[in-house]
Amino acid sequence: MNALGNSVYDSSATPSGLPAGCPLGPWPQSVYCRLDALPYEPNVLADLILSPGEGAQWGSMRAVEKRRHEWLLGRCVAKAAVRSLLERDLDLYLSPTEIEIVPDPYGRPLVSTTLQEPLQPSISIAHSHGTAVALAVLDPNAHVGIDLESLTHRRQDFETIAFSPDERSLLATLSPDVRGEWALRMWCAKEAMGKAIGRGLSAGLLNFHINRADSASGFIEVELRHGALEQCPQLRGKSLAVYTALASNFIFSAIIYQQGAVRMRPSRQEILDYLLHKMGELTQDWDYPDPVSPASRLFTELGFESLDAVVLCTAIQEHYQTPMPFAELLAEIGQQQRDLSIDELTDFVDTHLGGPARSGNVTRRVQ
Amino acid sequence: MTEVFDKFAQIVAKSLRVDASQVAPDTLLTDLGAESLDLIEITMETETQFHIFLPDKSILETAGEIFGPGILEKDGYLTEEGKRLLSRRMPEADAQAFEGQVAIQDLQHYFLKVGTWVRMIEGLAQYTPAECESCGGPMAASMGFRMKCEKCGGEITLRSGEEINREWVREYYDREYRPRAEALVSATAVQ
Repeated sequence: MNALGNSVYDSSATPSGLPAGCPLGPWPQSVYCRLDALPYEPNVLADLILSPGEGAQWGSMRAVEKRRHEWLLGRCVAKAAVRSLLERDLDLYLSPTEIEIVPDPYGRPLVSTTLQEPLQPSISIAHSHGTAVALAVLDPNAHVGIDLESLTHRRQDFETIAFSPDERSLLATLSPDVRGEWALRMWCAKEAMGKAIGRGLSAGLLNFHINRADSASGFIEVELRHGALEQCPQLRGKSLAVYTALASNFIFSAIIYQQGAVRMRPSRQEILDYLLHKMGELTQDWDYPDPVSPASRLFTELGFESLDAVVLCTAIQEHYQTPMPFAELLAEIGQQQRDLSIDELTDFVDTHLGGPARSGNVTRRVQ
Repeated sequence: MTEVFDKFAQIVAKSLRVDASQVAPDTLLTDLGAESLDLIEITMETETQFHIFLPDKSILETAGEIFGPGILEKDGYLTEEGKRLLSRRMPEADAQAFEGQVAIQDLQHYFLKVGTWVRMIEGLAQYTPAECESCGGPMAASMGFRMKCEKCGGEITLRSGEEINREWVREYYDREYRPRAEALVSATAVQ
């Protein structure tokens, strides 16, 4: 068992296995592993490294060989990355079978080990064309995303689906000999970002918007929009830097970001800004003569019906991840036959958000 | 097997370099080895060959934008409302597909199924006219998502799959969800 573990560890962690400027560069606290081939015959390897649950999954996979082998390769690098991370930082030694990779309901891989809960590292896995990579960090609250794509010939017009006109004009400034490479880097940046937020690109490719690409450092800045932002509202107004690199016919991309463990309470102004923004979204096809302002009243001026109010209230609770007594508020308004302005709603939300008030600007750590 | 299925199976087989006989209605594209960029390639080839414009996100995402958060999906699982919408939308899914707890990631089994794609293509193709509306002449693909009549030269722009999906969801929302939700809200208010 150890012999195998070490051989996997060695083959992936030797410097020759790392791409030039690999994702270890910007994130020294992470462990990155790469494998270009299965180190053993697949079923032997599966017996040696998979947990019983993973073994059952392996046994029932109906996919073509390429897919099955890449899945196994992915488990292999993930376990190797977690093992070497625990060894390096905590002096803990686990066998591969003691580490299980279990997808959460959205499909994001979570590490489950025989260790105590707070010690479950965060991981991201990618595979393409017979190669697999994994990136692991110790912080269970870290968001990790990694992607890998082969530089094989792709249809040129894939850019028209994958990128917005703005993003294509970013590509148009590049010289033709590197354009294909950077199109793929931008694609990989979107994929890594999708994995880091844990929801993939389900919100739509164009909602992962690329603001900037720095050819000197390889960093690509991605900003979430619309549906993608709904999935992680805490990233509003943030542009996150995804690292990309080219090595031996593959493009790699990786991002790690941390959210402050303590959720800071938003200021009243931030709540108001959010409510005005949300109102704008909810009522975008409603054609108002005047713009929505803090003094606008929901029912008489903005034409809200009870269901619209429920939709808005649900959205607010989801956004702040905090239940608030909206049912009472709406019932009271109904009984007293009065209306509710956005200002009053802001006060209501402000009152019911717990936690210490925050002064100054956003202090969330985002790398 | 329909004509659409055969044509789509050819696209898949060519793109993934597998034999067309491996492509069946209940095959998952990923089980045939498709990676994310392969799906993009299959999307583009499908659009070109069928003269349609596929949506860039699943019907659940589009519906989520219209219904608002927490209604169709909560913490990674479909709500009863979400199951209701999807079983209405995806008649090709097995009867037991939406029973019990359904995680969002389990839906990949349907969204990546060849049969689901075929049904989606058939649905969208209805919006692509075979004949010119003004003169009845044959239509041919023109620039981008436009089609041109070979006889009179009249041009039309195809509607996007996303737009068509939104329309379906809005109609479903107004016809089926809104009355149910309003009844629920007034029942709560009375209490």
